[in-house]
Amino acid sequence: MGAIVAKLAWRNLLQQRLRFAISVCGVALAVLLILVMSGVFAGSEEHAVLYIRNQPVALWAMQNGVANLHMSSSRLPADTVEQIQAFPGVDQAVGVLYASAGVEISVTVIYSYVFGIDSDIPFGGPWSLVEGSDSPGLNEIVIDRNLTQRYGLRLGDSVSILGFPLRITGLSEGAFGIATNVVFVNKTAMALLMDVSPRAASYVLIQPEVGINIARLAADLNQAIPEANFLTEAEFVASDQEMIRQMGADILQLMNVIAYIIGVLVIGITVYTATLERVREFGVLKAIGASMAQLMSTVFVQSFVIAGVGFFTGVVLAYLVSALVVQISPEILILVEPYQWLSHVPILILVTAVASLLPLQRISNVDPLVVFEA
Amino acid sequence: MRTQISLELSGISKVYGSGNTEVRAVDNVDLQIKPGEIVLIMGPSGSGKTTLLSMAGLLLKPTSGVVSVNDVLTSALNQRQLAQLRLRSIGFVFQAYNLIASLSARENVELVMNMAGTNGAKAPQRSLELLSLLGLEQRADHLPADLSGGQKQRVAIARALANDPPLILADEPTGNLDSKTGREVMELLCCGLGRVQGRSIVIVTHDHRLREIADRVLWLEDGQLQAKAELTPA
Repeated sequence: MGAIVAKLAWRNLLQQRLRFAISVCGVALAVLLILVMSGVFAGSEEHAVLYIRNQPVALWAMQNGVANLHMSSSRLPADTVEQIQAFPGVDQAVGVLYASAGVEISVTVIYSYVFGIDSDIPFGGPWSLVEGSDSPGLNEIVIDRNLTQRYGLRLGDSVSILGFPLRITGLSEGAFGIATNVVFVNKTAMALLMDVSPRAASYVLIQPEVGINIARLAADLNQAIPEANFLTEAEFVASDQEMIRQMGADILQLMNVIAYIIGVLVIGITVYTATLERVREFGVLKAIGASMAQLMSTVFVQSFVIAGVGFFTGVVLAYLVSALVVQISPEILILVEPYQWLSHVPILILVTAVASLLPLQRISNVDPLVVFEA
Repeated sequence: MRTQISLELSGISKVYGSGNTEVRAVDNVDLQIKPGEIVLIMGPSGSGKTTLLSMAGLLLKPTSGVVSVNDVLTSALNQRQLAQLRLRSIGFVFQAYNLIASLSARENVELVMNMAGTNGAKAPQRSLELLSLLGLEQRADHLPADLSGGQKQRVAIARALANDPPLILADEPTGNLDSKTGREVMELLCCGLGRVQGRSIVIVTHDHRLREIADRVLWLEDGQLQAKAELTPA
């Protein structure tokens, strides 16, 4: 009886087209809320590791006990870079200083990842320079072009970090995100500011020789230099993303629960109302011999049609919103990926089943003797 | 050949309420419907006709007494089994037609066959055949709202016949129809597709003109079949 049940359910829904459209929109908005929220968090996770991802190195060294860039402080002894550079299997090693600090633009402070870099390094600096120099001098800074555009700045203008004025001498691209903003200053100047040796490093970016087994090299370095922790790029990225995820998990889960409750209510109320309007017909079907399973399937089909159409509308809207937002505010990255929305399908099925309970209960209580009412 | 049915109601009563508010809608009725028989149940309003028909149609459990179908006690059956028995062995025709508003005439007939497990091309084919026999081939794809009362009742008869049941129960089938249309409908139900095909038909009605098509006419009053009320058909 599948086809005719589906047809009956579909016609029941379409008899009140406006109500059907409103319920689909309700589900779509709930799904949109879930996907945009998780997309913003996923985008933040991606932005948080921009620096790591964009450096052409396979191995990273940091202070032992540290495994993150985000919300971390790492200090390596002054001779660590030379030690690593001299290690068999290492082609090049570059030390950078790092601190999280506010970049002051007029009265606005932009939370930023500040990297102190030497001049003429093969990597470790801006990965995409659009204007000016990528090697900041003592009182200079390289910042993202989107940030300068937002605040009406240009090359030669000044910003401050911890009250120290720095002249913008380079504009980079792709380093400004909603959660993070990556800027580059002179390493010597930053060492003075941090009161450490200019030879010291927070992190060391390591490029192994061609053909070297990275994991093996990391293990050997960990053994040879116990005061440092060596992570592959993948490990470093995963560690930082996990930290961001944990920080946002509670908010994300709360928003998801709210959105799912909205979904349950929208589907439940719509199907319940549609069922109430058809109570007599359900009584007729019962009287002429429909089984409870057959009656229940009409309710489930209605619920799943609303949920399915609403869900895919929500997914399409989420893609549109993410594309639109990146055009308007490039620093906001909303990542909508198939794995992300597909992961909500099992929960949506559960939500839809829960939403069907009330209409199902109503149907089970329908008296077939309604058929004798004139 | 169609399986014939014998329906027997023995000493059945239906009591609503208790104490001072007790109402005996049906009181100790014995009734046997033989295969191929057309039985008319008449009586004044509130005499218990519909309650009796509900129990005969396995829609309502009697307070006391037993209903047996082909010598099987229906009190021993669960809801699913009762639904199956209704679906395959009993066709219902109601005063208010009770068609599904969102389905076409053909789909209303097809639905019952689908419920009984008839799928594929067979169901649409048989539903069209039945509607053609009832003169509705041109109205098969119309929704009930687009049909006249007589047409709706003919669709309801087609639906009742869809699974080829050996028993038809009809509750005031002409109640909403004018006399001419009512007569046409009853001729189709009893003479065309009922008696000719050997079905048992039980009709609850106020319409005395239907006496001429019945094998037996019973008079129900105050929930009891009157001792001398087994009337001779006109």
